[in-house]
Amino acid sequence: MNARLFALVFSLEARKLMSYRVDFWLNSVIGFAAHFSIVYFLWQAIFSESGSELIRGWSFEMMLLYYVLVILAGKLVRGAEHLGDIATDIYEGGLTRYIIYPTSYLAFKYAQHLGNVVPALVQLVLFATLYVLLLPMPEEAAITPASIAMAAVSIGLGNLLFYSFMAPLQSVAYWADNVWSLNVMFRFSSNLLGGAMLPLTLFPEWGQRVLDFLPFKHLYYVPVSVLIGTMGPAEWLRSLGVGLVWLLVIHLVFRAVWNRGKFVYTGVGI
Amino acid sequence: MIRVRNLKKEFRVHRKEPGLIASIRSLFVREHIVKHALKGVSFEVGEGEILGLVGANGAGKTTLVKILSGIIHPSGGEVSVLDHDPWKREDDFRSRIALIMGQKAQLWWDLPAADCFLLLKEIYRIPDGQYRDTLANLCDMLKVSGEINFQIRRLSLGERMKMELIAALLHRPRVVFLDEPTIGLDLSAQRAIRDFLLQYREEHKPAMILTSHYMEDIERLCERILIIRDGEFVYDGALDRVVRHYANHKILTAHLKRWPEEERAAAVARLQGEVLEAGRDQVRVKVDREDVTRCAQQLLSEWPVVDLNIEEVDIGTVIERIFNEKGKVPA
Ligand SMILES: Nc1ncnc2c1ncn2[C@@H]1O[C@H](COP(=O)(O)OP(=O)(O)O)[C@@H](O)[C@H]1O
Ligand SMILES: [Mg+2]
Repeated sequence: MNARLFALVFSLEARKLMSYRVDFWLNSVIGFAAHFSIVYFLWQAIFSESGSELIRGWSFEMMLLYYVLVILAGKLVRGAEHLGDIATDIYEGGLTRYIIYPTSYLAFKYAQHLGNVVPALVQLVLFATLYVLLLPMPEEAAITPASIAMAAVSIGLGNLLFYSFMAPLQSVAYWADNVWSLNVMFRFSSNLLGGAMLPLTLFPEWGQRVLDFLPFKHLYYVPVSVLIGTMGPAEWLRSLGVGLVWLLVIHLVFRAVWNRGKFVYTGVGI
Repeated sequence: MIRVRNLKKEFRVHRKEPGLIASIRSLFVREHIVKHALKGVSFEVGEGEILGLVGANGAGKTTLVKILSGIIHPSGGEVSVLDHDPWKREDDFRSRIALIMGQKAQLWWDLPAADCFLLLKEIYRIPDGQYRDTLANLCDMLKVSGEINFQIRRLSLGERMKMELIAALLHRPRVVFLDEPTIGLDLSAQRAIRDFLLQYREEHKPAMILTSHYMEDIERLCERILIIRDGEFVYDGALDRVVRHYANHKILTAHLKRWPEEERAAAVARLQGEVLEAGRDQVRVKVDREDVTRCAQQLLSEWPVVDLNIEEVDIGTVIERIFNEKGKVPA
């Protein structure tokens, strides 16, 4: 796929999303408020029950900051959450057009996936500004230009990883009629193991060691930790290597699945 | 431009009985039935030719089109389109074909047509000048310049189909597959699309394969037809010939002034040809082509005819007869 086409698909998708204005604001404001209040009240209760200032080294304010950034950066990582499109294209026959057109379906989908990052970026800037204005920044947080740059790289990797995870899951639609339950399972496990539900340092020591070798932490935990400074550059670099290896592995698996799927596709609907 | 030898396609379908127990059992053992959608067909289509592919529902028309355009993998035989194997899906091949499906939108549902066209311009890398000219020309011919800024989903079926046609022809394909392009359209839209296709052929001389259930499409657009029945071709040749072979008679309909019952009965007995209907004010007779004038004269001289009408047998009826018959059409 050439760069101009990629840019066009990307911008069309972003514009389309931004043009659903009501949906955009409802989704982002209400979604954010709901998520934030759950986290706020839950951790407030936990902290007051425990009676201590710190839980495994996390203060209440730091914990809140972690979650806010997970919510916002998570949207950048997940891009088009509806990668369900791939499954739908397969069993409703929408894939046919990309077989006919001289272009790459997967590149096309990735451009759309990235297009979804634009509204997420708008939300990130907006809510992050509000946060800085309204809530105190915890003293231990060290957000610097360098940490922002490292986080940006990690978010990029997370975005690619998320896409590479979802695409083969969705491709199961070549063989099965319903991949919805797979999506749910993936969402749950990636949230838990990737640090969206809890900072991973709250897991037992042995669990953390296992998670170091899995790809999930690159989705949420690494980008946010490196941003707020709880993960240093050395550790970040090491984890980046693991993440890249996983990206390659998942990608190869996906290629194999996809190439087999081609033979099963019957272009239903016509 | 299109060459097909002994092409076969089998579909394996799971057979599943209804009910919960059967569903559970099917998790462990699956029964397959093999469906032979194409049973070894061969044909060729040349430059500037519009080939009509006709057959009943489920005969295998769409399956054939899908194989020719590279969507599905054939089970056997050889296919060459523009000297490419469609299944390889090479860009050089894909940038010179087009597929138009009346049953299924190709364009992006929630984009305006204009944006869809822009996407296609980039996909096919059409130079700016050529794009502008072709688009203006196509919109003009189909009279849809006004609707091009509406989302595809907001267009009427006829307008949408016209957009699909424009989209499919922007890159000036050399081979065009049309699978029921006029399905569900009103007569004026059908006519517009037919004229448009003829003009496109005039200017660009592509090879086209057209399937349609409207015999008018076939009559107006195709000189040659392929009749397919249960995955096999039963006729490949000129449309004229099959019509002449099967429609070797015409139907005469005369509207009558009133006249006494017994006189009419006597006249009917004398009449040449097969009397289809002999009512109080209308008579219909089926006669061989050679006997048409004689029969007409007889009607006019012996019967109190107000108005006389001579019609060809409808091609649809002819083709339908072939669908339902056994064996091939004699050459
Ligand atoms: N995806 C599929 N799976 C199983 N059988 C199919 C599939 N597509 C088509 N068939 C079968 O192949 C035969 C030809 O279908 P098709 O080519 O769609 O017919 P038509 O001439 O109406 O376009 C039919 O019997 C149909 O049931
Ligand atoms: Mg069909």
